[in-house]
Amino acid sequence: MDQLTHLMQGFAGALTLANLLWVFVGALLGTAVGVLPGLGSSMAVALLLPVTFSLDPTAAFIMFAGIYFGGMFGDSTAGILLNTPGASSAIATTFEGHRLAKSGQAARALATAAMGAFIGGLIATTLVVFFAPTLVKLATAFGPAEYFALAVFAFVAISSVVSDSIIKGLTALGIGLVLALIGVDGQSGTTRYTLGLPELFDGLSIIVITVGLLALGEVIHVASRIHRDPNAVKIPASGRALLSRADFRKALPAWLRGTAFGVPFGVIPAGGAEIPTFLAYGTEKRLAAKRGDTDFGTTGSINGVAAPEAAGNSTAGMAMGALLALGLPVSATAALMIAAFQQYGMQPGPLLFERSGDMVWTLLASLFIGLVILLIINMQFAGLWAKLLLVPRQYLYAGITVLSMLGVYAVSSSVVDLWFLLAIGILGFVMRRYHFPVAPVLIAVILGPLAETNLRNALTISEGDLGYLVASPATVIMYALLLVAVAYAAFKHAAQRRANRASAKVLEDA
Amino acid sequence: MSTTDIQTEAGQTGRDGDEAIRITSFWSGRSELVVSALILALAAAVTVGTATMNVMGDTIPGPQFFPTIVCILLYVLGVVHAVSVLRTRRFPQGADPRSHDFSPDMLAEFGDTGRDTVFGSTGQRPRTTGRVRAYSDWKTIAWVVGGAAAFILTLPVLGWVFASAGLFWVICKAFGSKRPVFDVGVALLFASITYVAFNVGLGLNLPAGFLEGAL
Repeated sequence: MDQLTHLMQGFAGALTLANLLWVFVGALLGTAVGVLPGLGSSMAVALLLPVTFSLDPTAAFIMFAGIYFGGMFGDSTAGILLNTPGASSAIATTFEGHRLAKSGQAARALATAAMGAFIGGLIATTLVVFFAPTLVKLATAFGPAEYFALAVFAFVAISSVVSDSIIKGLTALGIGLVLALIGVDGQSGTTRYTLGLPELFDGLSIIVITVGLLALGEVIHVASRIHRDPNAVKIPASGRALLSRADFRKALPAWLRGTAFGVPFGVIPAGGAEIPTFLAYGTEKRLAAKRGDTDFGTTGSINGVAAPEAAGNSTAGMAMGALLALGLPVSATAALMIAAFQQYGMQPGPLLFERSGDMVWTLLASLFIGLVILLIINMQFAGLWAKLLLVPRQYLYAGITVLSMLGVYAVSSSVVDLWFLLAIGILGFVMRRYHFPVAPVLIAVILGPLAETNLRNALTISEGDLGYLVASPATVIMYALLLVAVAYAAFKHAAQRRANRASAKVLEDA
Repeated sequence: MSTTDIQTEAGQTGRDGDEAIRITSFWSGRSELVVSALILALAAAVTVGTATMNVMGDTIPGPQFFPTIVCILLYVLGVVHAVSVLRTRRFPQGADPRSHDFSPDMLAEFGDTGRDTVFGSTGQRPRTTGRVRAYSDWKTIAWVVGGAAAFILTLPVLGWVFASAGLFWVICKAFGSKRPVFDVGVALLFASITYVAFNVGLGLNLPAGFLEGAL
């Protein structure tokens, strides 16, 4: 039980007054940004990432853990009370959650969501503690061919399998790969695509790309619509979020079912928590129909809140494990976390446990502490958080704009970076305007260099023989899984198009 | 282009069926060709960059190997995208889904819900006096982008507090604030708080501008 010893040392490192303060501040800030209407956990991470730069790495990551989970807790609050889920991973919670709120049971819904997020996060983090060393062992057996296959898997899964349009997903991926190519090539020392600008020799900062795409791009997109779309209706919530013992017993199986859906998706690069939350919601819906539960879909059922929320946070928790042990981001938010590690010159992956073991275990321990703090502040002060929903939209977006400028400026005190930020922000707007997915860009930016390096290494080892890329069983399995997933997605897209065509009206010549 | 009534994309998928859009020019519902052009332009830029690259070292495969793959991918996608836009006109459908990272069809199937509920219903098309307005509100966008550009230009001169307060105020105005004078106060307060919290509290080096020394 090496892990327990490590974890106890981690707790010893995390339970200092300063570190407790950072995890608390992170949890507060993360929840606050998550609760703010229209802002999700990825926005929380993108905006608050630069804030942590002036801290030492351990304190920064502890604070980050709080922000990461805090955003997830906050997302569902906005969804339940306002029907505006901050992230698409909170949509499934919103269906039943908002029904509960409309029928005057907002406190029950909030409590079920907070408890679900806590349980999902707790189980997933515990699993990470016990399985991270196994993942690390697995990862150290990986050679260049396997790493390249892993990157290709993530690229194709996020850009094609889960995306609305395969063409748009792949295009977003291509844009991200080009952005990642800018700068000096590490292997040969060649300067690539810098347009002669010395500022670009180190490449375009990942912070600039993420803040531009996620924060500034979103502001411009909202600006393009603000005078055109109707406003949402606000539902006030007050007091504490309460959960009776009967409700607890009713929701417990749903929490556990949700967690079971969420955990596997934490290690599959399929874009994060969206798929498991919807799977969990669908399961609860079918179960409710079987039981004859009339609350579901009318006044709202707490099971419909419990399962997706637990699924979402267990995915987030496991994603942390995949990120630390494999260096594999499964979602846009996880890609941001990797950006944070890289900012400190650390590369998540098997070597991280060896080189910075103390920090990793302190981080894992602070995930537990963060969850407890989040449960308390979300249960006790639900009414207070709900007040944040009243912040006028103009101040909200003005604040985001100023904070994104601040964050990017803080990285290297460079005005040139701010121009890049504005350019990427406009790119983010154009992508949203024409319904291009943003997540593939971030995944490509993070994994692009890894894919390129490993592909070149693999081909150097094999002296140009492409067969080497599929020579080991691990690579064959990954490519085979990918083929099945792509074939399934293509089949589904084609079926949907046929259905659309069949239901469309025909223009007849009279 | 002749003036023909056609069903919109929304109509084809059977959502808000009965509205028809009149096509007045070749570009109606095809503004997305701008994106195809951008993709192809990006591919061309990468081609030029790859061809003129001053290659160092003699690693095989070299630094041009991976970019070439990406470049071919972009050319193919640019053409396929252009063809798909030319084949089906795409019209704005009002409130759009928040995220395009996921297929609403797939999520609706997993969640056993209607497609519309996944990202909210597509709602009303933005319209004024019977005409379908362009999807994007370019005036507000210009305010936001212009405000950001002005901020970047004036930051070294005005310093963080005044430049960011100005940016805050401009964004408020663009987003339709009705109280410009009150906003000045909020903007200055927000700017000062960020300055104090980050410069003094966290030790970031934000420019003081012409107040250098006074602060």
